Amino acid sequence: MSRRALLRSDAWQPLLWLALLLTAALGLGELDGLFRLLEPDSRTVIYGRAAFIDLLGSHLLLVALAACVSSLVGVGAAIMVTRRWGEDFLPLVSQVASIGQTIPPVAVLALAVPALGFGNGPTLFALILYGLLPILRNSLAGLRSIDPAVLEAARGMGMAPLQVLCQVELPLALNVILAGIRTSLTINIATAAIGSTIGASTLGDPVISGLVTGNTAFILQGAILIGLLAVAVDSLFEQLQRRAPGTGQAK
Amino acid sequence: MIELRNVSKLFGQTRAVDAISLSVQTGELCVLIGTSGCGKSTTLRMINRLIAHSAGSIRIDGRDIEQIDPQQLRRGIGYAIQNTGLFPHWTVARNIAVVPRLLGWPAARIRRRVEELLHLLDLAPAEFAAKYPSQLSGGQAQRVGVARALAGDPDILLMDEPFGALDPITRESLQNELLRIQAQLRKTIVFVTHDMDEALKLANRIVVMDKGRIVQQDSPQALLAKPANAFVENLLGGQERGLKQAGLLRVATLMQVLTTAAAPLAGPRIKATDNLRQALSLMLWHRCSSLPVVDEQGRQVGVLRLDALLDRPR
Ligand SMILES: Nc1ncnc2c1ncn2[C@@H]1O[C@H](COP(=O)(O)OP(=O)(O)O)[C@@H](O)[C@H]1O
Ligand SMILES: [Mg+2]
Repeated sequence: MSRRALLRSDAWQPLLWLALLLTAALGLGELDGLFRLLEPDSRTVIYGRAAFIDLLGSHLLLVALAACVSSLVGVGAAIMVTRRWGEDFLPLVSQVASIGQTIPPVAVLALAVPALGFGNGPTLFALILYGLLPILRNSLAGLRSIDPAVLEAARGMGMAPLQVLCQVELPLALNVILAGIRTSLTINIATAAIGSTIGASTLGDPVISGLVTGNTAFILQGAILIGLLAVAVDSLFEQLQRRAPGTGQAK
Repeated sequence: MIELRNVSKLFGQTRAVDAISLSVQTGELCVLIGTSGCGKSTTLRMINRLIAHSAGSIRIDGRDIEQIDPQQLRRGIGYAIQNTGLFPHWTVARNIAVVPRLLGWPAARIRRRVEELLHLLDLAPAEFAAKYPSQLSGGQAQRVGVARALAGDPDILLMDEPFGALDPITRESLQNELLRIQAQLRKTIVFVTHDMDEALKLANRIVVMDKGRIVQQDSPQALLAKPANAFVENLLGGQERGLKQAGLLRVATLMQVLTTAAAPLAGPRIKATDNLRQALSLMLWHRCSSLPVVDEQGRQVGVLRLDALLDRPR
């Protein structure tokens, strides 16, 4: 790709957001003067119980781990119930996918505590559970929206079931599946922040601490980082989705 | 050769196909025709094991298809369907290459084969090879569908209403194309349609189905001359039968041959390769009872008289 095309293609956008995010995570602590304007009366104006970069790291780790597990389980379950041998489970799984969507993430989080106690564990569990639903729903929708004539042709040409899945079904459903993972990540970046209330170490820490002590500067620092992280991940997925197999139509 | 012996298919309680026996000779173009839901597609799909038959036996060149691995079987049988089923995420070239790739051909051979097929189906490789299915017209997409079915050079071709969704003009040109290709390649073809004109035009043999059974199987001429019952007669178009029959015969068969070569002429005339239906239409239009017959170069080679059409033995 020429430099011109690269600039026009927006492919650089995720990098820009990522750079901004890292700069913010490393540099917010230096902006003492700026945050002092916001909170002239507080003793400290920079959240100091943990480095922002460490909080970003553990936040990202939680979300990424959850996304991997939910993607594997969600896409796997969708594949299973769209096979001939698994179709008996299709009504059950689609129902779970649609009901789960209506439960707010805070409720899932609250329910995880009595089961798993406090800390990163229950937060991860809640993230996996809650992030699973959009992925499952989209994977199902993507796999089931494929023109039956295309599948019939694939089988009729002599493709083995695994070849039909990998060469036809998954590529054709990829865009919709990626959209599901994108939604799941966006939701979970926010949900992970709430995880701070049950003892997980995330970018929600400064926000919660700010809320408790009435320190607007802390809240703002957490909010900026969470916002940038969400935007960076979203823009990354936008680029990924554009690279998913197309149908040759102008996008 | 494809042989079906007492083949039935049950979907739950419904008998989609009911004890049919049929053999399709090598090189024959056999058309299955009948009203919607009579079991044509089911019959076709049992031949490549997309549907397992419930009873009876199906043999290809003497081998029971149940003894053949289904994927292996299908790679050796071309398959074209009404809605083309082209892979929307692959280019035309990649679509055509599906079966050769499954067969593990080397890349160079696949490339040559794809090019050859694009030429055969009258699609310029430079223009079409890199296009996606969504960028094709209905007729072009169906040409690609046929090319894809032929790609692995199968002996047998199964075609399920391949031209059913096309406009009449495109359909006719693809029918002519299929006849040309068949004259060249001599495949064993089972072709499903619900259009009797298409069946009469393409078939060596027409198999009429009704409610999962074979009602009659005959050559187009024999079918027109002796429909087995009212259902077949109805399918043949009742009062239009005379015209359909005339459409099967060439002018050359009934014209009076001129012994001396004549000069080029003006006015109504008909080509020796046209059919009697077209001749009759011209006579009606020009209110004349005879037409000069010309060859491809426009030289008169004979005369066709209305009397000859009427005196024709049954
Ligand atoms: N997969 C299936 N499950 C249940 N019934 C089917 C299935 N496929 C076809 N049928 C039934 O079998 C009969 C014949 O269908 P088909 O062979 O598709 O007819 P045609 O191609 O002649 O229109 C119809 O009554 C149809 O409803
Ligand atoms: Mg059909």
